[in-house]
Amino acid sequence: MLRFPPIIAFLTLPLAAEVDFSRDIRPLLNKHCTACHGGVKEAGDVSFIYRELALGKGESGKTVIVPGNPDASEMIVRILSKDPDDVMPKPEHGPPLAKHEVDLLRQWIKEGAKWGEHWSFVPPQNHPLPEVKQSAWPKRDLDRFILALLEKENLSPSKHATSEAWLRRASFDLIGLPPTIEELDAFENAAAENLDAAIAAETDRLLASPRFGERWASVWQDLARYADTSGYADDHRRKVWKYRDWLIKAFNRDMPFDQFTIEQIGGDLIPNATLEQKIAPTFHRLAQINNEGGTDDEEFRVAAVMDRMSTTWETWMGVSFGCVQCHSHPYDPIKHEEYFTFMEFFNQTLDADIEEDPPLMPVPLDEKDYELSNKLQNEIKESEKALFAVRDKMDVTSSWKHPSDITATATKAILTIRKENGIPEFHADANAAAGAQYVLNFDAPLQNLTALRLELIPRDPKTASHTPEWGAEIRKFQLQLVDSSGKTSDVPLHEVIADEAHPMFDPNGSLHGKRGWGTYAKISKARHATFVLKSPLIIPDGSKLRVTILHGGAYLGSFPMVSRRGRLFVTDDMNWISHRDQPEVVEAIKSIEQAKQKLKVIPSTTVPQLVERDPEHPRATHVFVRGNWLDKADFIKEANTPKLFPPLKKEGPRATRLDLARWIASPENPLTARVAVNRFWLELFGTGIVPTPEDFGSAGEAPTHPELLDHLTLRFSGEMKWSVKSMLRELVTSAAYRQDSAVTDELAQRDADNRLIARGPRQRLTAEMMRDHALTAAGLISHKIGGEPIHPPLPPGVWQPFVKDTWNTPKVGDPQRYRRAVYIYYKRGLQYPLFGSFDAPLRDLCSKRRMVSNTPLQALTVLNDEAFHEASISLSKQMSSAPDLDSRIALGYRTTTSRHISKDRTDELRDLHKRLTEQYRSNPDEMKKIAANAEDAALAVLASVLLNLDESFTR
Amino acid sequence: MNALQHLAQEELRHATRRHFLKESAFGLGALWLGSNNLMAASGAKVERDATKPLDTVAPSFAPKAKRVIFLHMAGAPSQFELFDHKPVLEKYNGKDCPAEYLEGQRFAFIQGVPQLLGPQFQFKQHGQSGAWISDRLPSLHKHADKLCIIKSMVTDQFNHAPAKLMMHTGNANLGYPSMGAWLTWGLGTENQNLPGYMVLLSGGRPPRAGAALWSTGFLPTVYQGVQCRSGPDPILNAANPPGLNRDIRRAALDSLNRLNTRTHEEIGDPETITRISQYEMAYRMQVSVPEIMSIKDEPQPVLDMYGANPGKTSFANNCLLARKLAENGVRFIQLFDWGWDTHGSNAQESLNVGFLKKCEDIDKAIGALLSDLEMRGMLEDTLVVWGGEFGRTPMQENRGGTANAFVGRDHNPNAFTIWMAGGGVKPGITYGETDDLGYRVAKDPVQVRDFHATLLQLFGFDHHKFSFPFQGLNQKLTGVKPAKVVKGILA
Repeated sequence: MLRFPPIIAFLTLPLAAEVDFSRDIRPLLNKHCTACHGGVKEAGDVSFIYRELALGKGESGKTVIVPGNPDASEMIVRILSKDPDDVMPKPEHGPPLAKHEVDLLRQWIKEGAKWGEHWSFVPPQNHPLPEVKQSAWPKRDLDRFILALLEKENLSPSKHATSEAWLRRASFDLIGLPPTIEELDAFENAAAENLDAAIAAETDRLLASPRFGERWASVWQDLARYADTSGYADDHRRKVWKYRDWLIKAFNRDMPFDQFTIEQIGGDLIPNATLEQKIAPTFHRLAQINNEGGTDDEEFRVAAVMDRMSTTWETWMGVSFGCVQCHSHPYDPIKHEEYFTFMEFFNQTLDADIEEDPPLMPVPLDEKDYELSNKLQNEIKESEKALFAVRDKMDVTSSWKHPSDITATATKAILTIRKENGIPEFHADANAAAGAQYVLNFDAPLQNLTALRLELIPRDPKTASHTPEWGAEIRKFQLQLVDSSGKTSDVPLHEVIADEAHPMFDPNGSLHGKRGWGTYAKISKARHATFVLKSPLIIPDGSKLRVTILHGGAYLGSFPMVSRRGRLFVTDDMNWISHRDQPEVVEAIKSIEQAKQKLKVIPSTTVPQLVERDPEHPRATHVFVRGNWLDKADFIKEANTPKLFPPLKKEGPRATRLDLARWIASPENPLTARVAVNRFWLELFGTGIVPTPEDFGSAGEAPTHPELLDHLTLRFSGEMKWSVKSMLRELVTSAAYRQDSAVTDELAQRDADNRLIARGPRQRLTAEMMRDHALTAAGLISHKIGGEPIHPPLPPGVWQPFVKDTWNTPKVGDPQRYRRAVYIYYKRGLQYPLFGSFDAPLRDLCSKRRMVSNTPLQALTVLNDEAFHEASISLSKQMSSAPDLDSRIALGYRTTTSRHISKDRTDELRDLHKRLTEQYRSNPDEMKKIAANAEDAALAVLASVLLNLDESFTR
Repeated sequence: MNALQHLAQEELRHATRRHFLKESAFGLGALWLGSNNLMAASGAKVERDATKPLDTVAPSFAPKAKRVIFLHMAGAPSQFELFDHKPVLEKYNGKDCPAEYLEGQRFAFIQGVPQLLGPQFQFKQHGQSGAWISDRLPSLHKHADKLCIIKSMVTDQFNHAPAKLMMHTGNANLGYPSMGAWLTWGLGTENQNLPGYMVLLSGGRPPRAGAALWSTGFLPTVYQGVQCRSGPDPILNAANPPGLNRDIRRAALDSLNRLNTRTHEEIGDPETITRISQYEMAYRMQVSVPEIMSIKDEPQPVLDMYGANPGKTSFANNCLLARKLAENGVRFIQLFDWGWDTHGSNAQESLNVGFLKKCEDIDKAIGALLSDLEMRGMLEDTLVVWGGEFGRTPMQENRGGTANAFVGRDHNPNAFTIWMAGGGVKPGITYGETDDLGYRVAKDPVQVRDFHATLLQLFGFDHHKFSFPFQGLNQKLTGVKPAKVVKGILA
């Protein structure tokens, strides 16, 4: 029997006098109309996404909505129609509108059919603090918003939580760990003296703890789809832990959230970026790559770019953007084309789904070396740039001559020579196989030779500009002189110069049979390299030149890295040879070599780096027809953000990813701060003010406390200067958060999900907290910050990676065995079992919330998993430090639950210990497997019971 | 009955789970969390009520199938060597592939102009239905009249991981729920002592894409597939740690339950009650799972029939286990057998060596499974599905432009063969046809989404309505492109 009206009724009560479009009308349209008349489909030329379309005429010629006149509006006519052919929605599409819904629409049209943007797309407003009756209750301004709604609902807040309950809750929420007994005792005493001051001091202590960053990094990792492997089929180990350490540090030093945002989206583009600012955008290199044999790198490069776009929108702005890939947004005014103008922000990075995951950036193991390493890496880039400037100029000023004809032979390919615009080109057949070798003979059109230029061209340059072809790799390039008698002599080559300043691999490899110059792995336009002779060659009359090109093998077991089309040029410009003695060239080469030497001696790891391509070699971004990456339409001239939002501010002539980062992190962006505040709220209270953190669009749920969300949002981006710690301090010290979490019958019925916050939050520990809690209680936990991923014990039979990968568990006693969960090696295809059992996502994609489950697999984990078993035994040893059984039980209970034990619980556990002791006495074989005597064995099992208590599972 | 139990029942009367599946305006995520709270209300006893996320729920209309045994041959078996008989291809063996087949096509490994490869094995018609089956599957010949062979399957993915994701989740990208998760969400679990969705692997390697193939995507995590292993610990952590026998565990759990009940009296959090019942289920699973996952006590004739070998990991063992799980109310039993990717690039992955062994490995076991299910009267409501993630090319693979050392075929998304048996599909029919070379579908194409729509139909669901709201869309197993139920194969 229901004694109280459920809160669900409150949330859907009939509305106040004035109709508000985004609150009252947009949800109705989404529910009944937009599936056919929206962003995906505009049936009968009618759409309800934009006002001008809704006020227009449909296919029938009748005006859909006539402001001020519901009866003249075809929309109302059709909704009320009795004719089954005319009525809307069509009976097969959905039920007719309820009377109160029709009344609302009529009233809205009558009032002028005023349009309004969805609440989250308009800037947050300042709201006056609500008046409340129980004026003594609020501790923070936010409490007045909570209390006002409770009073409206005739509900009272719950009493203050006990000091131990608050401390446990705050400690887990802020640092992910339970309070120690010393901390509990100290706080209890301080709280007895001055509760508010004690809470303030304790909050400051927790926020200053280095453990804070570890806890909040794991929250952010779900969004960043952080994993230590590259994903998809092969799921290779990928070194990205330096990014994880960056996150921990950013949270620990309370990096303002706007800066935190800018650095992860565009840190590499910040002028004079530090090494840390270059590590931050590894956020975007966490997208997966696909190394499965025979996969098209361009397909999965595009997939990674789209993943970066979706992740950016979902992480910072809470809007799903993926659907706009194929069509305009079904509910929100974002157009299909805008997806691709946005794509341009992310489409110019160097990474391209290549197996080794380049580009990789060296990062010193010791942060003290960051500055030096960054300086050296910059020096290399600068010198390479200087060197390239000299050579690029020569490239332009040299007079390049093409041979009048070429004769060609080949192995593993069939070559034909064709003239295009009078220039001979070699063309390989479609069957050209990996390792093909081309021999090209030609008369040199000059007497002296200093350099040769090899130009590789896509078979179809037009389509290749947007859908690149497989490229080539030159393993060995040889030049020979063939005299009139047919005798050949080798012509020594000095160096290979690429047509870009920072080629991915050293082009000189092509002189030594190593990976060298090439159009690896794909070619989108003509590219060239210059092969410079050791010394000028005088070509005697009647002599010919012979070039031998040996190509690379197959890439991904499938694609022959063989050139399909190319041509040769020669020059007698002496600069190619003499420039190597110019002081600035000598200097640049020396500086590169020295910097490389110095870098080599700094102990370092690497991270996949987000780097823009050379602007000389941009990719062409196009609209994909219906989202198909192979079907390209309009060319995108410049990146931009959707019109729905405030305009992008450009720093330079072209919009960049850094401009985008600043646009997202700006207080003018209506979503960023709201989404962030909602996430902090969600973590602490269990449900967001917007209960659907994954959808702030019009299809998501409306906020339960819209004014409160605005209030916190404005304060976060305003007076708090985006300080995450300030926001969290505000929340954990609030009266709302401090409430007792007991669920009365009335609250259970009226507000089962605690949307109104009439009681304190009571959440199950996260997967990470489950481990860290057990290790802490056991006294085993090792607090070292950062470093390579760790490999705690795994249940037998779990470790079956698809490609070779090792899991070496440190021995019992080794501190590496007892580190926090945030450091556990996260393999996408083979998740650590604890994570899977306790609702952590696979981290394939950006994950916005964990659905909390309650399953038998969780019970089996905490009862039987090796790590938890070891923790139980260790905990029982800690308990043994107390003098007698009752005090041992009390100590263990307080360690695991943060509470003082009650008498009935002591009785229960004392009895249990007695029964278990008897059982072990009668079964010494069993006993020996766990302890040396029956009492200790019983205590170990008792400790396991404590770790399995509902109170141990919750915060 | 306490107040919470009252509440749960009242809620049920107002809004059944079914109603919520279709109409909840608040989003199922929220609903699920709500009902998760409610489900706790039934009390500590094992009695189940319909608000529990894993309890059985009736589908929309009368189902033909109650459970699935899905035999996925990971790597994609060649249809030309098993079911799709192509005499014309035999005639053109060794000839250059006609250009019209190559134009505009993308292959995983074929480069340039490959040669056609005739069928490598003899075909005959079998049973009254006259189904074409090659001589590689002799045990299956006897079951020809039980099979519903679909020769016209089409997918749009030609690399393993994305194609497998497509087959199992309806989407080539990661992050979507698998078929098993959808069905467990929709129907619940019949045996509360066992997971409703179990995964068994054989062939020495996990399938590419791994756990994503049995994940829950955006559905709550309780619906994910539970991977079972052979050996003493078939479900992770099912075995007690050393020094804790079952009596000791029982004594400890009794205390734990009393302490947790006390906590519930103080705090009133319904999750506490759920936790107590989950601990009890865990305790039962510790016995029920190893028991059911052990085949050592099966009669020798049964082991022989399957070719099963206790203590080993094999496809045959997994088929026998699948029957046992089916018998014990597991809803979705997913087998993956790795090693069917017959490119011809090495002996193991070739039609002339490795393939022979793979066929032997599965033939006897599948024949036994079908006989066993039939004998036990279970075939009529158990849907058995056999197939891979795509088909293979009628051309011999020439990796990187040169002929491979062994005989093999490349990936072909344009046509592949699967078969189904039991569970409401027409027995003894062959559906759909490919062209003379078996490269493209010539008649009655069945997209992967059509297969999913048909599967849901057999389980009593209209695929249009079987949806879960997430990120502003009513997400469906069948995706956004129009899907249709393949009426021609329904019994």
